[in-house]
Amino acid sequence: MNEELLIASAKNGDRKALAELVKNYEQTVYSFAFKVCRNREKAENIMQETFYSMIKSLHQFDGNSKLSTWLYRIVVNHCLMEARKNSRYTFVEQETDESLFDEKYIADWSSLPIKNLETKELRNILDSAIDKLQPEYRVVFTLRDVEEYSTEETAKMLELSVPAVKSRLHRARSFLRNEITKAFQK
Amino acid sequence: MNKEKVSCKDVMGHICESLSEEMNSPKCVAIKEHLETCHGCKSYFTSVEMTIDLYKKCTETLPGDVHKKLMAFLELTDEQ
Repeated sequence: MNEELLIASAKNGDRKALAELVKNYEQTVYSFAFKVCRNREKAENIMQETFYSMIKSLHQFDGNSKLSTWLYRIVVNHCLMEARKNSRYTFVEQETDESLFDEKYIADWSSLPIKNLETKELRNILDSAIDKLQPEYRVVFTLRDVEEYSTEETAKMLELSVPAVKSRLHRARSFLRNEITKAFQK
Repeated sequence: MNKEKVSCKDVMGHICESLSEEMNSPKCVAIKEHLETCHGCKSYFTSVEMTIDLYKKCTETLPGDVHKKLMAFLELTDEQ
């Protein structure tokens, strides 16, 4: 059954169609939640809440956007709610471009031992860097760079302007890159 | 056409903003020219690309039992 039919059937109370929709998107939702919150348990909870919200409001889905886009909006909201419980972020909006784009960060990565690192060690470095980033920046970076949505699509999903997405994106990229550099220089 | 003058700091900021996007404006042309000759900025550009790549590769597969828990939470079953 194609997705349009699945959605129509699910709206009419077909539990099998609903289960199929959930199955089709569970990996996408879980993976996105994990990339944003970097924690299996949290990703699992966010996924459950996302599909619970989807089922509750599927009747409001008008088909003007893709189901995936609509689901991303829901999962982003749940990720932001979860991430805001945490106040350890060191990267704040007020951080100046002066500190983000400081020339001291021009380090040649070809000399960094990235390839020699064990996966777990590298993962810890990536987790620790993204963990310091404000959730609003994390979701922009994940949607635009990791999930490869366009700037316009990302803006639509997050209900932000295109310049706001660009600004958050370039600051997030720079911050993460600097944090990874610092971790290797320790 | 006036030739744009850019500093390394301009380039670092612009690289992050424009990575993987169209680069045809006079500023972007100047950035490209700068990148070809400035080793530091070229390294910076590569490292930003690598940062994105590292996060892309760092994925997580849905554990098997999580699917079952999800279906139970939503009161759905695989065979209905």
